[in-house]
Amino acid sequence: MKHFLRMFVQVCLYFYCKCLWRCLKFVARKLTGRCELQRICYNTKPGASRTMKIESSLRGSKSKLLQTSVSVHPDAIEKTIDDIMDLKKINPDINPQLGVSLQACLLQIVGYRNLIAEVEKLRREPYDSENPQHEEMLLKLWKCLKPDSPLEARISKQWCEIGFQGDDPKTDFRGMGLLGLYNLLYFAERDTAIALQVLSDSLQPKYSQFSKAEWERKKFDKAIGYSFAIVGINITDLAYNLLVSSALKTHFYNVAPEAPTLAHFQQTFCYLMHEFHKFWIEEDPLDIMEFNRVREKFHKRILKQLQNPDMALCPHFAASESLINM
Amino acid sequence: MPHLLGQHLLGLLSILRKLKSAPDQEVRILLLGLDNAGKTTLLKQLASEDISHITPTQGFNIKSVQSQGFKLNVWDIGGQRKIRPYWRNYFENTDVLIYVIDSADRKRFEETGQELAELLDEEKLSGVPVLIFANKQDLLTAAPASEIAEGLNLHTIRDRVWQIQSCSALTGEGVQDGMNWVCKNVNAKKK
Repeated sequence: MKHFLRMFVQVCLYFYCKCLWRCLKFVARKLTGRCELQRICYNTKPGASRTMKIESSLRGSKSKLLQTSVSVHPDAIEKTIDDIMDLKKINPDINPQLGVSLQACLLQIVGYRNLIAEVEKLRREPYDSENPQHEEMLLKLWKCLKPDSPLEARISKQWCEIGFQGDDPKTDFRGMGLLGLYNLLYFAERDTAIALQVLSDSLQPKYSQFSKAEWERKKFDKAIGYSFAIVGINITDLAYNLLVSSALKTHFYNVAPEAPTLAHFQQTFCYLMHEFHKFWIEEDPLDIMEFNRVREKFHKRILKQLQNPDMALCPHFAASESLINM
Repeated sequence: MPHLLGQHLLGLLSILRKLKSAPDQEVRILLLGLDNAGKTTLLKQLASEDISHITPTQGFNIKSVQSQGFKLNVWDIGGQRKIRPYWRNYFENTDVLIYVIDSADRKRFEETGQELAELLDEEKLSGVPVLIFANKQDLLTAAPASEIAEGLNLHTIRDRVWQIQSCSALTGEGVQDGMNWVCKNVNAKKK
């Protein structure tokens, strides 16, 4: 009974707040002569803070048009903006800026949704060693990371040198599918200097002061910094989780002037790899068995950074700065 | 009516009290096997978690699962060759060893057999009941449990209770049967 009452009170409170919010919006609209979308665009600077406010305003709207606008096809955005302006009785000649601002926000919002779909599709596609395209990418990864030593055979212990688990990397992609390979290859191809540095560091033994005999006696593999490729696949999982949980919205809405693309996601992955590497060295874990603890701590740190609406994880990758200030 | 409600409440309270007064026996389970055997999938299947995002294990994972009056603390240690030397750090106080085999990876049966034999020779694991999961039975190319048992000479194990159970960590088939055996044999550790 007590429980029921409490729930009842909560439901009432919810409707009361909702009603109050509506009334407030109504009063604000009458006072300023602007609707909520206008007020957000005029009062908030462009970037994540504005786009996120617009997004929650659209989602929370009682109008069907506004609610569904966050999931329209990118080609229909212009038309949707016109419809919204009509519905809100905003004269585009008097407020030319509003349409442009709203369009920029909607492009980002819709783009983020589509990016999730695109990334999810890649993740779901398993690595297939019968597919020549997949094989070609894998061999290219080797060439980028080991330009001076050719691969002796497709199935070879050499794969361990770039941090796969065994002699055939195909089983290592698992739950991340092609997404893991795409990310690793992007890192190796586009951010080569850093990728090679991270790889070389990851191969350094943790305790270099040990003598060789001591290593052998302890049966430790000398190269137990961490496994580059496997960590790449794990960091892919981390980036994927950040994306799907909406945490990356702050970052993408701040760096991608229009719709965020797969390249933006891959750049974020490169950034996360580099940051994780620095974090790993800072944390100075005893051995690889601490990996999940360090990874969790790193995840929390990134999440915290992304709570700041001005945060952009890798601004050096951002496209033209001028576009974002629309 | 209120009387009935009161009785129900009392009944509920007594159940709660019983739960509180008899804490579950804690069981330490070690989950080992080669890389890509399916250890983490099995662990997540046991904890009824999503198994579609699994990545190779660097280091280890641990989860606690309630089952049949036991609190099973399951340690899933990475199976990569580089990590295997660290397995020994987790041997202490193990109640049951679960060894996972990819039944479709025939090329590595010898390697997995060798690792298992080494584990059974470990002093810290002596007498510890061992359950062998012949995993990935959902694959067409999977070898049946009987063939694996024969290949690994399991019948020569005399110093402990053991069981081989065919299963698919992906579909969950056979997993519960194996865990029932674990719960039954938790206290069968030979001193």
